[in-house]
Formats: sequence, structure tokens, C-alpha cells
Amino acid sequence: MNKRIGISVGVAAVVITSFTWSPPWFGHQVDYNTDVKPILNKHCLSCHGGVKKAGNVSFLFEHELVQPGKSGKIPVVRGDADASELIRRIQSHDPEEKMPKKGTPLNEEEVDILKQWINEGANWETHWAYKRIEEPTIPSLRSIRNGFGLLNTRDLNWVKNEIDHFVVEKLTGKGLSFSPEASRATLIRRVSLDLTGLPPTEAEVRNFERDTSDLAYETVVDRLLQSPAYGERWTAMWMDLARYADTKGYESDGGRTMWPYRDYVIKSFNQDKPFDRFTIEQLAGDLLTNDKGGFPTEENLIATGFHRNTMTNNEGGTNDEEFRVAAQIDRVNTTWEVWQGTTFACVQCHSHPYDPIPHEDYYKYMAYFNNSRDEDLWDEWPKLRFYKGEDSARVERIKQWISQYDPGQLVEKTQFMRVLEPKINAHSFIKGDASTALLISYYGVKDKGNARILPVTLSGTGSVVLNLTTKAKNAVLTLYLDKLNGPVLTTFNVPDRDTVLIAPITPVRGKHDIYLSLKSTASPEEWVRINWISFQKPLPGAGQPNYAKVVADYAGTLTRPAESMPVIWEGKGDFARKTHVFVRGNWMVKGAEVRPDVPKLLAPIPSNYPKNRLGLAKWIVSRDNALTARVIVNRFWEQLFGRGIVETLEDFGSQGNEPSHQALLDWLAVQFMEQDHWQVKKLLRRMVLSATYRQRSETTREKTEKDPYNRWLSRGPRVRLSAEQVRDQALACSELLSRKQYGPSVMPPQPDKIWQSPYSGESWITSTGEDRYRRAIYTYWKRTAPYPSMTTFDAPSREFCQSRRIATNTPLQALVTLNDPVYLEAAEKLASTMQRRGKTPAQQLWEGYRMLTFQPIGSRKLKVLLATYTDALSTFKASPSEVTNILRYGSEKSPELAALTVSANVLLNLDKVVTKE
Amino acid sequence: MNKLLNELLHADVQRHTRRHFLQSAGFGLGMLGLGSLLDACGPSGEKTTATRSDAPLHVPHFAPKAKRVIYIHMAGAPSQLELFDYKPELEKYHGKDCPAAFLEGKQFAFIQGVPKMLGPQGKFGQYGQSGAWLSDYLPYLQTMADEITFLKAMHTDQFNHAPAQLLLHTGSARLGRPSLGAWAVYGLGSDNQNLPGFIVLASGGRQPDAGKSVYGSGFLPSVYQGVQCRTGGDPVLYVTDPHGMNRNMRKKTIEAINEINRQTYEDAQDPEILTRISQYEMAFRMQMSVPDVMDVSKEPPFILDMYGVKPGDGSFAMNCLLARKLIEKDVRFVQLFDWGWDGHGTSAADNVEGGLRQKCRLSDKPIAALLQDLKMRGLLEETLVVWGAEFGRTPMQENRNGLVMPYMGRDHHLEAFTMWMAGGGTRQGYTHGQTDELGYYGVNDRVHVHDLQATILHLMGFDHEKFTYPFQGRNFRLTDTAGKVVKEILA
Repeated sequence: MNKRIGISVGVAAVVITSFTWSPPWFGHQVDYNTDVKPILNKHCLSCHGGVKKAGNVSFLFEHELVQPGKSGKIPVVRGDADASELIRRIQSHDPEEKMPKKGTPLNEEEVDILKQWINEGANWETHWAYKRIEEPTIPSLRSIRNGFGLLNTRDLNWVKNEIDHFVVEKLTGKGLSFSPEASRATLIRRVSLDLTGLPPTEAEVRNFERDTSDLAYETVVDRLLQSPAYGERWTAMWMDLARYADTKGYESDGGRTMWPYRDYVIKSFNQDKPFDRFTIEQLAGDLLTNDKGGFPTEENLIATGFHRNTMTNNEGGTNDEEFRVAAQIDRVNTTWEVWQGTTFACVQCHSHPYDPIPHEDYYKYMAYFNNSRDEDLWDEWPKLRFYKGEDSARVERIKQWISQYDPGQLVEKTQFMRVLEPKINAHSFIKGDASTALLISYYGVKDKGNARILPVTLSGTGSVVLNLTTKAKNAVLTLYLDKLNGPVLTTFNVPDRDTVLIAPITPVRGKHDIYLSLKSTASPEEWVRINWISFQKPLPGAGQPNYAKVVADYAGTLTRPAESMPVIWEGKGDFARKTHVFVRGNWMVKGAEVRPDVPKLLAPIPSNYPKNRLGLAKWIVSRDNALTARVIVNRFWEQLFGRGIVETLEDFGSQGNEPSHQALLDWLAVQFMEQDHWQVKKLLRRMVLSATYRQRSETTREKTEKDPYNRWLSRGPRVRLSAEQVRDQALACSELLSRKQYGPSVMPPQPDKIWQSPYSGESWITSTGEDRYRRAIYTYWKRTAPYPSMTTFDAPSREFCQSRRIATNTPLQALVTLNDPVYLEAAEKLASTMQRRGKTPAQQLWEGYRMLTFQPIGSRKLKVLLATYTDALSTFKASPSEVTNILRYGSEKSPELAALTVSANVLLNLDKVVTKE
Repeated sequence: MNKLLNELLHADVQRHTRRHFLQSAGFGLGMLGLGSLLDACGPSGEKTTATRSDAPLHVPHFAPKAKRVIYIHMAGAPSQLELFDYKPELEKYHGKDCPAAFLEGKQFAFIQGVPKMLGPQGKFGQYGQSGAWLSDYLPYLQTMADEITFLKAMHTDQFNHAPAQLLLHTGSARLGRPSLGAWAVYGLGSDNQNLPGFIVLASGGRQPDAGKSVYGSGFLPSVYQGVQCRTGGDPVLYVTDPHGMNRNMRKKTIEAINEINRQTYEDAQDPEILTRISQYEMAFRMQMSVPDVMDVSKEPPFILDMYGVKPGDGSFAMNCLLARKLIEKDVRFVQLFDWGWDGHGTSAADNVEGGLRQKCRLSDKPIAALLQDLKMRGLLEETLVVWGAEFGRTPMQENRNGLVMPYMGRDHHLEAFTMWMAGGGTRQGYTHGQTDELGYYGVNDRVHVHDLQATILHLMGFDHEKFTYPFQGRNFRLTDTAGKVVKEILA
């Protein structure tokens, strides 16, 4: 580094900072967002904001500033600080009047800022992140430097793309300078880990080191972006946001089939599906009807699994409605966190404490989600059923029959066979005689028992489809219209098994209560469990030959077990829900009814968008949404650089951190939307091709002192690998890793007694063959007992959406990579390769170091390794029984291989290995 | 940007960056280098270095009376009506229909229709100078009555195990909040550099219903989560060296790792490397100290007898003894869970007669021994012992699905239950709160679980309203938005 430049840049920085340190009221106007809002947040809003409105005064919304409080005085009189009650109170010496009432008084500077702000007209400004994203001008390197006379060609030579212009501008301002490009080996390891989650192969490193063309690095990047591993890597990030798990959560935490959603995410990333499309599919895939039969495509419906990753509570005595609501709330919070980078959860109980979002807006937003048909059922309906083989052929036959006799019914019947909707879930029956809840979510009825079914629209129906389970013999079930002794709708015998029954009902118009009663004299103590009931048009073609068989096929299709996964399905008509404000967030205390809408804080939803979840999803990814592109671009940036441009990925509001490079963030967001058309690969390519990304990560004392967390990007990222990467790298470098993709989650070896949740008979059955060595993304995820080494390396439990994994550095992590059999198996495998490749121990250790770091080992490090090896070798030679103890996987059992395995165990624990440099 | 904003920003960054905290606490540790590793190679790993990897972030608001806590949780919830809350009136109502007033608008986990009342199954007497009521289910605890403060009118909001356990331990029935132990270590740090500050021991064959979240760190940094020491297999996951690698070899490998990492630091200058070096040292020390402290075989026979422990049996009694050993080593917070107290009357094990007697037989003696042992060693004064469950049990007999149960059982009850505390600045031989004559509602001095949490934090030196952590734009505290210190029970 050129010392003279470094120093002179430092001098320049002093000049600049002394400018910014001058009081704001000295020559220019105060800025509401940067000068005033932080003072209000710090001193005022906890009592005069979204939570409390003490003395009827609040500073949350602009209109509130000038409204008289309880005292009749006006807090802010625009243009006249002396007449403003706010100023009088903060300057008062009367303990009864002085503000803030509790807490530190404002200092002189703060008071002056507020005064000047009011005198200047008390301008109100929207927080930066809520303003439409406009394309900023790219800083010109010439203009940055001109002011200080420091222009030289060094910057011009260093920059690779526009990103670097923004970064240089800030660095210059901070008196820092960039670092040179990392070595080829370091760079390819970094970019491979970042784009695919896996280290490069040795051949890939060698090719890159030898490639002298100008496009060498771009070639590597383009190859990585095409790798199937790319989708797996980015899915790992998305899984935390989607709170993906293979279990239902809560106490019993039983399994659920969710992996098709995980595979959908992998495929979407690999296809580079535009992110706006990816968003719409996940939030509203069920409302995209674009297959021939008027039914959503399987892919779109699987995508809605995103919001079926909410938890389901199967504990006895729990209220299904309470946990249905909890899932809705989680959907609202998660959607806000993932796409809008805003912590919305607090608005559930009151207006946002610091950002201008009123309480009702939460429930208006929830109204978009509230019609989803899931109701915290034990069996998690609605689910998408996958038919295979003969089952699939049977479905096709039924569809053909319908097409022939009444094509108008095709949509309804296809829908019912694929998702069993719409149907009335029996847990909503009003309890009558001799009845009880069974399996929490279902309705049990015995001899002489009955139930009331809440009003159903019967116009246009003509048959009832009913799912029940019983051992009772010769029980007879009857449905009555309007009252228990009303007209009989239908009556039929109940078979003693788990079945779907179809029976014709008397044609009736309008909406009616229906009563159900059971006669079961032969088995009066046996329960008949009713799971659901649905009123439908009868299948068409009555009277045709084979009609009875088609009806039986339809019932059989609905009865036979099919692999299925939870999906979102919108309820319409009788199944649409009203949404109310929950007073202070309590779901049992309902306030005013609300209609779906988006908060006024952001651009309004265009009037031509559908007024449902699909419209909402489109709005989220519309050009005018101020948050989405910023938030998403920031997420990808954080994954590469170790920290976001806005560090608080989850909070872009006024309580979040200020962006370090707002112009860069906005520029990237605009490129992402307008140039890249939301294609993530293009966005990532832009980022990793920047000189900023390619910098060496080594720091200097000066850089650490000026910028300990590398906020200004004067060096490359240096961060510990993620939980998934730590495992995948060890398996990849030791050549154990399976590259098999997709399918049900697997169970690699884990210690006994990890799974101990009560009431679940499920157990961890260690996978065999290559499934032991799959990428971490395929490991079975149980929420109450996640795979231990994942959580040790900071993976969340996935009960809720989590934007950031805060990297910790703990002794428990050391114990994993030192002693977990997974890492010992990798060490042994690595040792065999080292042994094969090198003749002498020194050569072998040299090879091992290179296989993990892709760099030659320095002589001092080699000396340390060699000493450990020699020491271990003599121990193993002295006690040969220990050799077979440590070598547990391969066939060779020599003291040399044992000593190399111990050395490989050292190598796998090196900082350089568990860190992305 | 002006100076004020710089300050604000700095404070903000500090608040939002756990990493910063971890670094500032860990920075410079590695400077001590390998010397401390060698120091720790003594037989019991007792030598502590000057390093404080879990240095507290908070200075207590006032001097703590309870420097350490042992929290004994009987998961499933034993019946207070058989053990502590003596209700002779309930005996008179035994077998009669439950009054309608107790049922209207109430929700129970299993009771349906009109259940019968169930009289107390234990024989009660008054014990100690204080005359505390205890039943013959607890003959050993009777002898320690004068050490204890009983809270007879506890109440909670949740009637299912998992949410009620979460509410009790994290202040919220939903997942995601830090547990009491995590708050304690976050606030007071750890005084032992060879052991985690928050250790969890579970017995009864199963984990608590709400899983790890009841001792999790929620949104606090993960270093504060409870580390479960298991009584079968490795006491801490992967603490045992692989077969074929002896201690000396492990020591040499860790020295090699740290030496190479130190060389890496020379080039990279990344302070995280120094933290890693110190954490490998800690890992090595834990490999010694965890199995050592978990091994009770060196305890004298009279101590083993006193607790009723057979070494290696993985029992609750063993965990009581381990709790004492951990406290002796200055572990900040020891959490015991014992599973199997859910006396619904569904089986020979789950009921309030023989089943509950059997659970008491396995736990009464070791609990009394623990109190006595702590007292004997002068540890009780600064060690708070808390005993209780997530809720209580109904004065009515359970009638699941409207049926008569095979054994005497009671349903979950959130309106009234008993907990007790001893040591750590609590009043000795005192009973706080009272329930109505049938033991259904607390009638005076009711204590909500948030009040209990506020009181425990108070004993540890914290004002529960000021002891907060900023997360998602809000300052969170253990007691959520409630909680009142129960002043009457302070010594």
C-alpha cells in the first residue's frame, strides 16, 4: 500500500468530518429524518407514540404534531418554537411539567435542534426506506477526488463496476482505502462457497490459477451460477425465512410432509425464476389458475407451502381457533419481515411505537390471509394430494366422465380430488348429545348423539360427501334440515371403517342449519368419528351405465391414502371469513370489522389489482413498493459480505440501523427491478464481479481501528461458515459428499436421545448409503430438536421466521468439529487421500492443508502439524489397539493412517478452514 | 452527521449487533495465549484464568442476595392439594357434583360436563416452628419446613403443559423469548470459566413438554442458552474424545490448532480468531471439568445415602446432587426438570394417589438432602432454590370424555397452585397467600408467574422493569408487561 496516499486520505477525512461535526443549525436546515426523528424516538415516543398517547399527545403521525393535547396546548406551532408546548415542557424546571417525565433530560444540542426544526416550519419527512426507490446517480471517481486534489489512476484501475464507485466515495469520506484483490485461490474458494455453498475442487482452483485471460474470473462466476449446487445454497438462506421444518411444531411436534416445498425453492433458484414471480407463487400460488382444468399448476400450489410452514398445535384441550389465528398472525409478521423488512408484530397490539403504522392496518393486512382454509386441524388440511399409478389413472377416468357429461363441474371436482376443498371440518360442529371432540380436531358421536352444523348454502348441491371413521356396527346417520326433528335430508348406514361416503340429499335452496343424529343400537359405546362433510353437486351422468362405478371411484379416490402436503387454499362463499381488529391484540376481543388493505405508509395498491392475496403479492413486488427490492437486495448482500448495507435486515424502520451505503442500495434495487427483471443470478453476478467483493480480507491495525466491523468495505469479507457450509465443506473436501438432489429429508447419524418429545412415537432412523452424506439442506428438521450441530452453529429452530443468524463463537462448536463422528469420518477419509498422494509425512500434511484451503502451507505451520503427527504416530505405534479404535471407517488400519487422521482432525478445525476468507 | 447522531448510531449498532458484544467480551482473551490452556490441565480443571468469556453486560441494579439459582421444575404439575394446600372442606365435598360457579365460562384440558369433587388423598400435619402444612407424601421435606417460603396462591394463564411451561420460564406462552436462566447469565455473567453458566439436568425419562425453548436463549446471544448435561452418554454433546485419542493427544491437537490459528492471526488480524483460540481452550477445559463435575462416584457414602443416589442411575436424586456440585463450582443457574407428574388418573403412574406417592418417594428425600447439604456447606444463604410446576391441579376429579377414570386424578388447574422457595434472600418458615376453602381460587396474596419472575430477578439484583434487551424494535423483558415483586417473602 502506498503510504503517502494513505496518510493524505486520512488528512482529508479530518477535513470532511470536521465539516459534518459543525452544528446543524449553523448554516443549513435541520433534517427531520437524520436530526429530529432520532431525538423524538429516543426521548418522546415511548410515551407519546404508538403504544401510549400520554396526555393525548403523540409525535408518531404528522397530523398529531399540531393537535392540542389534553391541556389544550399545541405541542408544535410551526415556525414558532417559543409558542410550542413541546419546547416549553422540555425546558421547564417544574417537576410536574418537565419532559421527559422519567429518563434523561434532553441536552442543549438536542433542544436546539428541535427549536430550529420548529422555527424552520417543522417539516415532516417520510423515513428514507418508505420513499419510492429512485435511481441515484453513480458517483464519478473524478468528482469524488477533485475536491481534495487527490485524483490518481489507482481508483480507476481498481474499480470493476458501478458498485465500486459508491464504495470508493464512502471510503474516501472515511479516510480509508480499499484493499487489493485476493489471491486466486482465496477468491475462488470465497466465491464458490458464496454462490454454491461448497468449496471448489482442486482442479477448479488449478484451472483458475492458470487461466490468464481477462475473463478468467467471470468464467468461474458463470460456471458457479449454473451449478445445481447454487439452488441448494440459496435455499439454505430461504429456509430460515420460510421457517421451513419437517415437523408441525408445538408440544407433540409430529412429522409433516413439506419437502416438496423445499425442492420447489431449490428448483426456482436454479431456474433463476424472477424473484417477483417467486414471490407471487409463494404468497398466492393457489390463486393463479393457469392449468387446463382451471386448477393451479402443481408447482404453484406447492409454492404456497411457504405459509403452511406455520405451526400446528395438536395438544389436547387446545383451541383450534386460537392456533389458527396464531398461524395467521405469523403469516402477516413473516410476510412483513421477509419482503418489507419491517417488524410488524408490535402493530398487532397497538400502533407501531416508532413508525407511522396504525393498529388497524395490521388487521387490514391480515384480512388478505384470513380466508385460508387451514384451521389448525390435527391432519393439517387443506393438503395437495399427489396421485400415482392406478390412483392417478382413476382420477383421470373420473375427470373424463365429467367432461363428457357436465364439463361445468370439472373445476369443482378436480379441486376436490386434489385438495378436498371446500369442506366443513367437523371441529366446527356445535356440540349436541352423546358427543365429544376426538383427536382434538374431529367430532365423535355415539348412539343417540347429535350435532348442529352451522348454516350451509344448499342451492345447487344435491349430494353430501362425508369422511368418517368407526368400529360401530350397523350405525345409521341422518341429516335433518333446520332442526333436529326437521325434514330429513338424507339417511344412510355407516360402514365400520375409515371411509368417504357419498349420498344424495333432497334438493333444497338457500342457507340452512343442518342437524346430524346417530342411531347405533348394536354398538352403543363405539364412537363414530366424523372428520369432515361437504355438500356438492352429484356427479353428472346419472342413469348412464357405469354411473355407480364412477361414484364409487370418486369415493375411493377420496378415501384411499395419498401422499400429500399442506397448502394454502382460499375459502370463498360460506367459507370466507370476516376479519376484525383484535383489541390490544387479544384474539378473543374483537373490534371493528376491516377490509383488506395495505398500510398507508407505503404506496397504495393499484385499483386494477385483484382485491385478494394475489393483488397483495403483486403489490409487494410492484415498482412503487418502496421496501421489497431494497430489503431483498440487502439480504443477498449480507450473505456475501457478512453484513447488510442495512445491518438490521429485519428492520428498515426508523429504529433499524441506518444504511451504510444508501445510494448503492437504491441503485442495486433499481437495477434488480429494471435491468435484471428480478433475476437473482444477475444481481449476484453484479455483486461478486465488483472489486469491492474481490478484495483481500486481511486487515491492518489502522483499518480495524477506524472501522472494526468493515462497515465501509475497505477489505473483503471474513466470516465463519454457516452451519450448513461447515458440514458440507468437510464432506466435500473429504470426497464423502453425495450430490443427490431432492426428495424426503434424510437422517444422518446423530447422538442417541436427541429426540425425546413426549407423545410422539416418531424416532430418528439413521439413513444408510449415500443418504448419510447428503448436503445439510436435506437433513430432517424437527423444530423441538433440530440436528444438534446445526443449532450449535447458530441455525434457528425455525419456529418463526428469522432474518439473520448472528454468528457466535463458542466452545460447543469446537466440540462438534473436534469430536462429532461426522468430522472424524471426514478426517479418516481425508487422511487416506493424503496418504495416497504424498510419500513423506510432510508431503502428506502439505496435501491435506491444500485440499482444505487450496493454498500451500507455510513452513512454520507445517512444523506444528508435523510435530503433532510424529507425536501421534509414536503413541499409535506404542499401543496398536488404539489404531483400530480411531480408524473406524476404512479397511486400512496402520499407525501411519491413524496419525494422519489425527492430523486431519486438526486441519478440519483450523480457523482458515471454518472461515470464508 | 453531527456528534450526537454519531453517538446514537454507535449505541444503536451496539444494541443491534450481538456480535459486537461477543467480540468486546471476547476480545483480547486469546492474547493470554496458550498459557491458560496448560493451566487448566490440572486434575479438576478448577484453576480459573483471569479471562471472562461470559462477562456480564449489566451491572445489577442492587446487590444480589441470590448469587446462584437452583430451579426444580416438576414437569406435568403435581397436585398441590395432596402435598401442601390442606383443604379439610374439600374432604366433605368428596364425591359431590362440582358447583356450577366453578365451571361457568371455564375451560379445562380434559374435564367435561359436571365432574365430582375429589377430597385430599394425603394426611396433613403442621411442621417446624413455623407450623407449615405438609402431607405425609413429603416426610423429608417436613423436616426442612423452617427453611422454606411457601407461595400458596400462585396462578397462571395457561392450562396446557407446553405454553404454561414457556410462560413460567420465558414470560411468554409463545416461543422465542429467553428463559429465566438465560437472563440470569446474561445479567450476572458466569463465575466459572470451565463450565457453562447455565446448566440443565432432566430426569423422568423425557424432556419437558415445551422442549429446549424452556431453557433457550430466545433472542439473546446463543452463549446464554442452557446447556443440557445429559446423564446418559456424553454429559455435553461431543465432550468425549473419540476412541483412540487420549487426553494428551487431544491436548496436543488443540495446541496445534491454536498455534496455527495464532499464525493465521498474524496475517489476517481478525479478532474473531483470538476468540476462537480462547473457545478451543474452553472446550478443552470443559472436556475435563464437565465429566468431572458430573461424576458423583467420588462423593462420600453418607452423601450418596443422604440423597439416595446410586452412581450412574440418571435419577432425579442424582440430579439434585449434581446441582449441589455445580453450585459449588459457581455455576450461575442450574435448572432441573423431572418428568412424570401429570396426575390425570389415566394410569397407575399418572394419578394423585399411588402414582404421586411414588414420584414423591423418588424426589422428597433428595430435595430435602439438597437443602440440608447446601446449608451445611454455607451455600444456601446465597443460593436460591425454587420448586414448582407450570400449574396446579383441580379440586375436581378428572372425568375425561365424561368417563370415570380408573384412578384418582385431577385435571390441569391455572387458578391456584403452590410453589416454594428457600435460601437466596427469601424469608424462612413463611407461608404467603391462601386459597378458598376448596382450593379453587387464591383468595389473598395471589402471585402470578410474572410476579414470581420479578421476585426471582429482584433476589438476583435486578429491577425486572429495567432489565431489558432490545429486539425487533422493542425493549423486551422477562416479565413482558407485567410482574410485581412479592416484597413479603424477602428476608
